[in-house]
Amino acid sequence: MAADHEALRELLGVWAVGAGMPGDEDRVLAHLADCAACAAEAGRLRATVRLLDGGADAGPGRVGRRMLDAALRSRPAAQGVAAHAAPYAAAVAGLEALLRELGERGPWGTPVIHDWDVHGTVAHLVAADEPLAAHLGLQPRVPAPGAAGAPADAPTGKWQDGWEARTAAVIAYEHRREPVETFATWRDQARTLLATRAAHDLELAAGATELMGLRLPVTDHFLIRAFETWVHTDDIGRALGRSVPPPLDAHLSRLVGLGVRILDLALGRRATPVLLAIAGPGPDRYGEEWVLGSDAEPVAAELVLDPVDFCLLLGGRYAPDEVPRGIGGDPLAATAVLELAASLAWL
Amino acid sequence: MPVESILSRSPTDADLHQRLVYGDESALAEAYGAFGGLVLRVAWQVTRSTADAQDVTQEVFAQLWSRPYTFDPYRGTLRTWLSMLAHGLAVRRAHGDGGAAEESLRLHAELAGLPLPQRQVVHLAHFAGRTYRQVAVELGVPEDTVRTRLRSALGRLAATRADPPGPAAGGEA
Repeated sequence: MAADHEALRELLGVWAVGAGMPGDEDRVLAHLADCAACAAEAGRLRATVRLLDGGADAGPGRVGRRMLDAALRSRPAAQGVAAHAAPYAAAVAGLEALLRELGERGPWGTPVIHDWDVHGTVAHLVAADEPLAAHLGLQPRVPAPGAAGAPADAPTGKWQDGWEARTAAVIAYEHRREPVETFATWRDQARTLLATRAAHDLELAAGATELMGLRLPVTDHFLIRAFETWVHTDDIGRALGRSVPPPLDAHLSRLVGLGVRILDLALGRRATPVLLAIAGPGPDRYGEEWVLGSDAEPVAAELVLDPVDFCLLLGGRYAPDEVPRGIGGDPLAATAVLELAASLAWL
Repeated sequence: MPVESILSRSPTDADLHQRLVYGDESALAEAYGAFGGLVLRVAWQVTRSTADAQDVTQEVFAQLWSRPYTFDPYRGTLRTWLSMLAHGLAVRRAHGDGGAAEESLRLHAELAGLPLPQRQVVHLAHFAGRTYRQVAVELGVPEDTVRTRLRSALGRLAATRADPPGPAAGGEA
């Protein structure tokens, strides 16, 4: 009986709020009839719950569409654009929300990656968005002193030098300003990019152009902006202890497709062929497969990666021997692909 | 089976959070459809005012939309988070007007100050109307832990009623 008393006493809180399973109520009531101590406690707990309840008078009213609309006005939704720019619009919305949460006096000085703090990482994005903005006819947001602002698609093949000087200049310039000003500069440039006709017109964006050393259709350059914006949002989230979700499934598969194309280009036609399988993002995990490298030889190895891990590997956020993967067949051929992917590190 | 319930539930919260972060308005409408009633009820039970409860509800969903990273689907369910947020905002907004409502409000303020594990079970079992088995699954803790936490949480609240305003000494009841 003592054991029964212990067990039933532990149920009193559950009983008081009515959170029991079928049969619990009868067992408790039977026990309360016999046990004065439990009956007194049960009475106290139930009276407390009743007081929390607010009694039965008047209802709470109805949840109306009006309240939802008012809530929606507290933040703009992702900009509506064509499918090729939608991943970028979403990434911009995601970073904007994260930076808004920091406010004016937030942890902008927290180290993030390379030697950048949160402020510097946003300034870096201001510079990184510039080449596409310039290609689409937009003016630079940060004054470009002379040759340092030379277009990154100059035909010299030395785009890295110009780019590195420019990003350093932009970060130095922005560090002399308030973080919220840099945030506004990045946001306005990103929104302007998303308002261009190229972000809304697939045909207009189909033409190839060389930016930052990569000759690709403008649609892909929008994807690269999405990729880089998301990776840096994830960097900032990790630094600040916030969970940054992976890109939406439809966007993630576009990013993966772009990553595979770039990896395949870098690998060339002579490399030992490897079957790359990227697991699907959805619950069924059904993904896509590509054969990378030479099509004149049989496939030597199979490499299986998660889509987010694949993106992080390409972004230089995973060492080739650390990324979670499955390998079948010739481990050397598969490892060569991982090493090349990590070495691209285009961010 | 608890495992299945967890697997079928958590993707929904994570999926909603992902869409909220990336600026998809339909995700807010879904969250509102699923939990708007709960949020309004919690706010009303504290404030006893339809207008205040509606203001709190609007504030709760505005925060979910404009500050989506403050909800972390890996640290708890959206249901619990919204219920606790509504409760905290309502307690801050409500001002007692004497009488029974005054005592109720004091109790809600005590509830808002309980340790998180105790607050979570009260929110899920009382406000959200979950059985202790559902609460155990949702929080990922054993059922007897839920029973014990619920009893001690309510016991602490009941004790603050016994010796009203003053600095209620915790622990002895």
